[in-house]
Amino acid sequence: MTFSIQRVSAIIVKDVKDLFKNSYMILITILFPLGMAALLSDSDSDDVSMLGMPISMALVITGAFVQATMMAEEKEKNTLRALLLSPATRMEIILGKSLLSSIITILVVIGSILISKIQIPEFFYFTIMIVLSIIIFISFGTIIGLVSRTVMETSIVGLPLLVIFAYGTIISSALDNPVVSTIVSYLPTESLSSALLELGQNGGFSEIKWHLLNILLWAIGSLVLAVIVYGRRRFDK
Amino acid sequence: MKHEIEVRQMMKSFGKKTALNGVDFHVQQGEIFGLLGPSGSGKTTMVKILTSQLLHTSGSVQVFGTDVSKLRDSSQMKRIGILTDNSGLYDRLTVYENLELFCKLYDVDVKRIDEVLEEVNLIQDKKTVVSKLSKGMKQRITLVRALLHKPELLFLDEPTSALDPANKKQIHTSLRKLNESGTTIFLSTHDMEEAESLCQRLAFLHDGKIVALDQPHNLRVKYGDSTINLVLRNGSRIQIKQNEAGAQSVAQYITSGELMSIHSNEPTLGDIFIQLTGRSLQ
Repeated sequence: MTFSIQRVSAIIVKDVKDLFKNSYMILITILFPLGMAALLSDSDSDDVSMLGMPISMALVITGAFVQATMMAEEKEKNTLRALLLSPATRMEIILGKSLLSSIITILVVIGSILISKIQIPEFFYFTIMIVLSIIIFISFGTIIGLVSRTVMETSIVGLPLLVIFAYGTIISSALDNPVVSTIVSYLPTESLSSALLELGQNGGFSEIKWHLLNILLWAIGSLVLAVIVYGRRRFDK
Repeated sequence: MKHEIEVRQMMKSFGKKTALNGVDFHVQQGEIFGLLGPSGSGKTTMVKILTSQLLHTSGSVQVFGTDVSKLRDSSQMKRIGILTDNSGLYDRLTVYENLELFCKLYDVDVKRIDEVLEEVNLIQDKKTVVSKLSKGMKQRITLVRALLHKPELLFLDEPTSALDPANKKQIHTSLRKLNESGTTIFLSTHDMEEAESLCQRLAFLHDGKIVALDQPHNLRVKYGDSTINLVLRNGSRIQIKQNEAGAQSVAQYITSGELMSIHSNEPTLGDIFIQLTGRSLQ
């Protein structure tokens, strides 16, 4: 199998040009998490676990929804078909499309940290968790985009994801049900928040290892699922 | 002559429904081969199988002498071009930006963009955003995109559907020029005029089976009724059989000066299709 950096970068460059001509999407997906970080900054809190909320928003809204919208639009307008019938391999196409969403998500995560003015402890573990989380949400975004028939439909298909992953803690507290609380505790966003809390209290690898493992399993599972869906749905309208 | 496409006893089923059944044909290097059939006859399924978008159920399908499944390889994809009636363009990008992407994917110098846009008279729209183009112009841009890398084999699935006659003519001219430069063309259409004007050989597809395959002229001769229509100066119309007695009658009308016009009675491709299948091409 061949792999061409030139083809991957051509797809990224095209997506950058396209995205800048679709400014409302950038504004909506970027402003939400950054706005949340600004609220956190106003609260003068230095609790690092509080950073979980804007980061989860950045991952779900920026990561998953930018990716979902881009994939759904390519499918809806039959441009994905044109790419797939070019010399670009399936791997190059999905990589090209995912890298831009990943870069935007990373920038929003960095922006959220800077705006919230909260210090990140254990930068190494934090980076690993963010990278794995980006894999999870870009994979989910790819699945949502491929399953949806239109760009509009991504909002409907993706809404449960937004609610469950971004507001898991709030749902769990509101329902006060032990089963729901247990399920929510296994969400990657919850693991991320819990791990940040541990790291904020001078915890290390032994304190966060199960959270790290949970996030890793989510990353592997979602990536495998995205690959399967991509293989089956790439040519569908 | 080398065969660019070779299909032997190919079958394609979707569950219990058979879309293509025992299809046999080949496409020679340098020819324009047409697949003519009404909507639902299996033309698009055939194009999808030949371009590795779908897997066939049984039989053999070879493109460039190797199994069609190998076509997914980047080096093989560079040898083919594909244009379908639903080939998409990036609406928010300009014509140039759309084509630039595909130049990079096909490893073609971007200077080629101007060259191909000149050919289809769209050079003045190079910087126009695609969403502002008419349907006909968009279709010409997708054709340009399929030609950027000078493919050895071009697949066209209903390339001029819903286009006005002027745009259709322009696309046909570009296709003939391309074929003259050596590109083999596989055309799938329900438009008999298009098939007749472009194709050197034609296959009629009906209910997933090829019911006739030959040169358009041979098909008309084979399925014609071997009669000649004469119109005389007194306004009467006479139909004469193409045999010795008929030849003598024609000679008599000519020498007596009674003959005004003479036409062979060849059926259209649409007539032949109805004759063979009992249904029309539309």
